Amino acid sequence: MLSLKNISKYYKAGNLKTSILNNINLDVDAGEFVSIMGPSGSGKSTLLNIIGMLDEPTDGYHYFLNQPIHQLKEKQRQALYKENIGFVFQAYHLIDELTVYENIETPLLYHNIKSDERKALVADMLDRFQIVGKKDLFPSQLSGGQQQLVGIARALIVSPKLLLADEPTGNLNSKQGDEIMELFKKLNKEEGMTIIQVTHSEKNAEYGSRIINLLDGTVESSKNV
Amino acid sequence: MLKNYFKIAWRNIKRHKAYSAINVAGLAIGVAACLLIFVVVQFELSYEKFQPNYKNIYRIVLQQDLGDGISYSEGTPYPITAALRADFPQVKLAALNTAYNSQFTVPANANNFGADNKKFVEEIGVMFMQPQFFDIFKYKWLSGDASVLNAPNMVVVDRSTAKKYFGDWQSATGRVIKMDNQINLKVAGVIEDVPGNSDLPLKVLVSYATLKTHLHEYNADDSWNTVSSNHQVFMLLPANATVSNLNAQLKVFTKKHYGGNDNDHKVHFLQALSDLHYNTRFGNSLGDHITNKATIRTLSLIAVLIILMASINFINLSTAQSVGRSKEVGIRKVLGSSRAQLIKQSLGETTLIVLFALLIAIAIAKLALPFLKNIASVPDDISLFSIGSLLFLLTTTLVIVLISGIYPALVVSGFRPVLALKNKITAASVGGVPLRRVLVVAQFSISQLLIIGTIVAVRQMNYINSADLGFNKEAILVIPGSTDSVSLQKSAPFKAQLLQTPGVKNVTFTADQPSSQNNWTTNFYFDHNTTDKNYQTSLKFGDADYFKTFGLRFKAGHAYTQSDTTNGVVINETFAQKVGVHDYNSIIGKSVKLGNGQWRPIVGVVEDFKTNTMRDAVRPIVLVQNKKQQGIVAVKLSTSNFAGTVASVQKQWEHTYSDYAYSGYFLDQNIAEFYKQENQLALVYKIFAMIAVFISCLGLYGLVSFMVVQRTKEVGVRKVLGASVSSIVYLFSKEFMLLITISFIIATPIAYYMMNSWLQNFVFRIPLSVGVFVLAIVSSMLVAWLTVGYKAVKAALATPVKSLRSE
Repeated sequence: MLSLKNISKYYKAGNLKTSILNNINLDVDAGEFVSIMGPSGSGKSTLLNIIGMLDEPTDGYHYFLNQPIHQLKEKQRQALYKENIGFVFQAYHLIDELTVYENIETPLLYHNIKSDERKALVADMLDRFQIVGKKDLFPSQLSGGQQQLVGIARALIVSPKLLLADEPTGNLNSKQGDEIMELFKKLNKEEGMTIIQVTHSEKNAEYGSRIINLLDGTVESSKNV
Repeated sequence: MLKNYFKIAWRNIKRHKAYSAINVAGLAIGVAACLLIFVVVQFELSYEKFQPNYKNIYRIVLQQDLGDGISYSEGTPYPITAALRADFPQVKLAALNTAYNSQFTVPANANNFGADNKKFVEEIGVMFMQPQFFDIFKYKWLSGDASVLNAPNMVVVDRSTAKKYFGDWQSATGRVIKMDNQINLKVAGVIEDVPGNSDLPLKVLVSYATLKTHLHEYNADDSWNTVSSNHQVFMLLPANATVSNLNAQLKVFTKKHYGGNDNDHKVHFLQALSDLHYNTRFGNSLGDHITNKATIRTLSLIAVLIILMASINFINLSTAQSVGRSKEVGIRKVLGSSRAQLIKQSLGETTLIVLFALLIAIAIAKLALPFLKNIASVPDDISLFSIGSLLFLLTTTLVIVLISGIYPALVVSGFRPVLALKNKITAASVGGVPLRRVLVVAQFSISQLLIIGTIVAVRQMNYINSADLGFNKEAILVIPGSTDSVSLQKSAPFKAQLLQTPGVKNVTFTADQPSSQNNWTTNFYFDHNTTDKNYQTSLKFGDADYFKTFGLRFKAGHAYTQSDTTNGVVINETFAQKVGVHDYNSIIGKSVKLGNGQWRPIVGVVEDFKTNTMRDAVRPIVLVQNKKQQGIVAVKLSTSNFAGTVASVQKQWEHTYSDYAYSGYFLDQNIAEFYKQENQLALVYKIFAMIAVFISCLGLYGLVSFMVVQRTKEVGVRKVLGASVSSIVYLFSKEFMLLITISFIIATPIAYYMMNSWLQNFVFRIPLSVGVFVLAIVSSMLVAWLTVGYKAVKAALATPVKSLRSE
């Protein structure tokens, strides 16, 4: 599904070159659940952003669903991204001005899905995550765990092939975190959803099928669980 | 999708109430102001355009050189019409002679004049009119047609005059009315009211043939040498003729008909109808005002500047606010929104706010409309909405949405999602601060321009209103009257009677007050010279008490004595100087001859007083008794029991001159009327300067709030390092002081140029001193300080712990 070849990322400030990622090679197959770990500054988030096409590498080759991303134009890349990738963030990143219902609905608007169909899809999603009663609340009226549920529901509503999660449990207490992780595991097992998550927590990483350790921008180790 | 945008837009407006209020208020006030100016400008530019022959109608006007420079007159001599008809048979032309303040007596019933007559005085709109006028100008006839004006003693009235005189227009035809107590006229036709945007207010049209037997009473004279601005000729340009061609023929025509000296220094030429309302070379002897094109341009410029300021505010605040919304933009991008969709959303929000502001603007304009006549000469029933003004609103909306929507939209949609989500978007990264500085400078330049304009205009008007006119204008009641022989005989007993009235100090019978917009001039001979001077002198007629009543001050000699036959004359300083006498005592006893009159000794020299308006230089003047012209009575009153005395004088006047309608006025108010347009312009400056200052303060407040937020952390760090509150306030304010100084440097030369050329309209004017400019910058600084100060102090007083906690 995904293949990174010799991916590097560095910034130049004057004569100073700051390297973030250095010669990363990574292949992820459909149905995998990969956890990326590493200390602060090791480049995990940058790697995830590159995979998610929110950021571009300085060097290297990036293939997604057999398409050479590094050669695509902005528009094509965006279309590919829109159809296939869902994002979940540590800080949830819900739109504060929108209700739960509207937040979940927003991606459908960008996919030009008709009103009736949108209603049905959002209703399904609310049902599935058991947040029907909260649909008219605004994010600020929800707990962190509930907000993250909405964030995940929003990421899943367009049925992406790949779910990217940047420390999804970072702002949650351990009980809420466990629930989210169980949910990810279930998604991966029962629906075959490909998931890549970045995490600090050893325990959360164990939910995945493969753990990759990054250090100073290079892959230090990779092991299957 | 659209619904979603509007929902978000609405929630955003609600969430950021202060920002939205500033945005909407600034824009609404700006648009309302522009809309009102647009209505005025549109009205002023629409004069006479309803005439189907608009483009081909011309007035025959006169250029003359009477020895003291070239002057222009819209008047023509009475015999010109017949001569023109003979020399230009192919041209359609018509003459009219207007009469001011004519009185019409309307019998209460049928056509029997009696004690219960109604009397009306028509200030303007009364004209002796040739029927051919209606071949050139087109009006709707409710009854009768132009041919009724062929016969003498016929009159045509317009609908509202008919209603005023007879109750309704249908019963007007066939009625008889009396003009100025001497001419009986039969109503033979009724025309529809002339629209307000015309300098030809046709109210009472007396057949021109009637004038022939009453020339003298209406300042006309069957002579080529007398030119009265009341007598005007209009013509329709024939299809095959050009203006330059006709002007050349008119030159030949002038040479042929004018005798003597006039031959060389008078020439007639054509003035287009489209020029009539705007050319200040010619007086406005028919309508109620003319408007300088420069005034219209000034108004339009102010409107453009105001709308520019409001848009600048909008851009400033929108981009500032967009930083706060970078997270939302980041999320939307992650959720799959394209850049185009984000631009659409941002434009949608702008549109919503602009539409909202527009509705408020229309409401404000609607509320302010009744007050519009204080700043412009527009009719009371002027409408806010016309195709023009709606188009204007539409265009304005589009332009504002585009200018103030596109820039923030591009900025916002260009955010990189990764940075946006990490809240790393700052003022610097939206490129805002330098641009914002430029915009603030632009705003303050405009405000200061208007502030300087206001100070200059207000000072000049104060100067005019309080200037020493050379006579005392206070507490003088002026009552226009008739110069018919019956009335003149009543003058002396009436004067004696008035002087018995408690509260009356002095009384004089006169033809003209000291300062007026009238000009009665003649050629003259000085000191028994046999050739006349090559310039003319002005005349004012008054009895011996003229000087006492108006408080004129003698430099030498004294007033002439009361007499029915002419004896001495009094001159002013300018007259003496122009004939080359500087020791005023030595001119006493010398003689002048006015026109073809008698030699008369000079008995006194008065200090120069303002003979006309402050726009004009003082003219050489001869004051002389001329009982036949002295129909106006001026009464100097004591200020105690003022109202009572005025009422008593009026009662006595009405009793003495029972055939006439009373139309007394106070001299000081009448003089103030001379400057109606200037006073209006001063008021325009005042109002719009206030609006401009208000809008730029909103902008400044928005900008400083934004900078305070941006620099919270910096302030925190500085405070931890030991900065004092005052040094931090200084940190915020020094930039604005600099920006205001820059805008001052930009505004000053433009304002100087603008106001200097405005002041050139006045012969008597204030100097454009440094003080004006100092006042402008000091007041701008002060206002900016008041605006910025609160926010700056608040930021400086905040505890640093709070601002530094976020990292």
